[in-house]
Amino acid sequence: MFLRIFSYKIKQLIRMPWIVGWNFLFPLVLASAFYLGFGNMIKDDPNRLDTIEVAYVAGDGINSNFLSVIKELSKETKDHGKILEVTSFDSLEAASDALNKKDIEGIYYEHDDSIEVIVTENGLISTSLSQIVKSYQNYQASFEKILSEKPEAIDALIASINSNMSFLKKYDFKSGVSQYMQFFYALLAMSSLFSSWVSTAMMTSLCANLSECGKRFEMAPGHKLKAIFAGILAGTLLQSISNTVVICYVEYCLGLHWGAPIYMVIAITSLASALGISIGTLIGSIFKNEMALSMVPLAFTMTCSFFSGLMMGGIQQIIKNFCPILNKINPATVFTDSLYQLACYGKTSAYYQDLGIMVLMIAICLIISVLILRRRNYDSL
Amino acid sequence: MSDSIVKVNNLVKRYKEKIAVDNFSLELKKGEILGLLGPNGSGKTTTINCILSLLSFNKGEIMIFDKEMSPKAYDIKSKIGVVPQNVAVMNTLNVYENVDFFCGLYIKDKNKRRRYVEEALEFTGLSDYKKYKPKKLSGGLVRRLNIACGIAHKPSLIIFDEPTVAVDPQSRNAILEGIKEMNRAGASIIYTSHYMEEVEEICSRIIIMDHGKKVAEGTANDLKNSLKIRESICIGMPAINEDIIKDIKGINHVYDAKYSEGELVISLDGGEHNLVHVLEYFNEKNLPFGHVQTKLPTLNDVFLEITGKELRD
Repeated sequence: MFLRIFSYKIKQLIRMPWIVGWNFLFPLVLASAFYLGFGNMIKDDPNRLDTIEVAYVAGDGINSNFLSVIKELSKETKDHGKILEVTSFDSLEAASDALNKKDIEGIYYEHDDSIEVIVTENGLISTSLSQIVKSYQNYQASFEKILSEKPEAIDALIASINSNMSFLKKYDFKSGVSQYMQFFYALLAMSSLFSSWVSTAMMTSLCANLSECGKRFEMAPGHKLKAIFAGILAGTLLQSISNTVVICYVEYCLGLHWGAPIYMVIAITSLASALGISIGTLIGSIFKNEMALSMVPLAFTMTCSFFSGLMMGGIQQIIKNFCPILNKINPATVFTDSLYQLACYGKTSAYYQDLGIMVLMIAICLIISVLILRRRNYDSL
Repeated sequence: MSDSIVKVNNLVKRYKEKIAVDNFSLELKKGEILGLLGPNGSGKTTTINCILSLLSFNKGEIMIFDKEMSPKAYDIKSKIGVVPQNVAVMNTLNVYENVDFFCGLYIKDKNKRRRYVEEALEFTGLSDYKKYKPKKLSGGLVRRLNIACGIAHKPSLIIFDEPTVAVDPQSRNAILEGIKEMNRAGASIIYTSHYMEEVEEICSRIIIMDHGKKVAEGTANDLKNSLKIRESICIGMPAINEDIIKDIKGINHVYDAKYSEGELVISLDGGEHNLVHVLEYFNEKNLPFGHVQTKLPTLNDVFLEITGKELRD
């Protein structure tokens, strides 16, 4: 019975024009609108800096510690991602060829007593590369001493340099994600929470107090909760597919990078879809009024999306300053934050905390729903 | 096992202070079509919902197939078919899918279910509309789909809750014929309606409900025979004076006579050759008259006499 209800629920949901419109098409339209609005700002975001691919060429007889330092900067740290991707070249000519072919973005050419930075144009990259050289030169004496006397302490010195490189600290090197991508994260949050509509529609057809079909269903010799879980699964699957289409559309058609591996974005968004479906199930188990079953999910989704930054970029920060708990209980904010954490800082504890909150919210919604729905007959219909 | 299919004893259902069903009892025997008759709001649908365990009730006992009915009595539920008052079909599924979906809640075997669905569509005359969505069907066809969804799994107890509301006469006849056929095939049926002529046509026994109570029970003839009025004579004639009406009331077996809008209606409580006696009086007094019509009592008359009012709706 579970599989039959699951397949019929999928059939029913994809034939509901308003679900196709709001859950499938609207996010694509909104993503396109966002792209038209600030797609170029994302691509040319001055606050965005990818890992710099740089060549290192040592002149004859050079045996400095600079290579060790920039290799340290090629490692990811918990504070930020990889700043440099260093490739050693034997000759300046070979490195210049690579630079001209745009295989690399700059060259460190160390010769005599100086370290030369070679780039094709001035800008953020050349400034960053020069900043690193300056910092190295300021600490050169310390480096030489530590590397000769106590090489195991080099990490501490690098950390010290990092903390002083305020210029570089402003940037997120890990994935090159722009702050403006927050709008797209909020869009995915809205799309996921729209799935609460899917589950109120599903609940309507399964509960005797919500529809005539529900009465017919509850007169049959089947377990209601089993059927509702089949519906939840069907709704989650459909919403996840819908979100995957949006994710792929943004990444491949609009050319905007989500800042994290696409399979991770899909996985987190699927979790958010399950959260939306669970919230809808709770709404469907509490409200009996047909109007409420349409309006409550819509109002809930739009309110949560607003406070997660769908319409106003800095609102999360404002809430964080004045009422931080709101950010922790708003499912849309928790979801956008999890994506942001992953994109900017990797799998940090904050990221896992966000995932945990989402799982907890799903569990709470479903447990309350089950407690309400397990009642098998009604006082009135 | 007794031949009792449904037995309801002293059912009481309250909505806060309002009593919807008041100490109501009924028994459906094997092979019967039991008519549950009553005006809107009389408690028929509430009683049905209690029987089906959709509604909780305050007092009483409901036994189906000699077992106590409960929401989890899946073995009982599997033998019940329900055709609800309001159309209960999924608008996003076509005719075939609707019947298949609801039949699938009862019948697990795929081949058997396919056969049952085809038979239900054939039975309700929907075989040519398999791919149609309910919104594309006429009101009568949707009602038939509603029936197909309720009976496809071949239940031995079928409950029809006002299945002919808002249905054209052709579809109504088809539905009533179908119900009789299902009964001949072995199904016991509870049929609720506020259309008395339907109940009289198909039901072997009738219960009349009003204000949640049973107000009468018996076959259609039993109920009609229980009436004081056994015959009515309607005579078209010009205005007459009170003395003549008094004289007519004095004729044997006449217990009432009323004149209004060019027609004299004489109510009689039995006797034989009543029309002859009335016409003899007219002849004797040389009274002019037009049409003459005699009427036997109907269930509507039964209801009027019992409840003292017209059927509502």
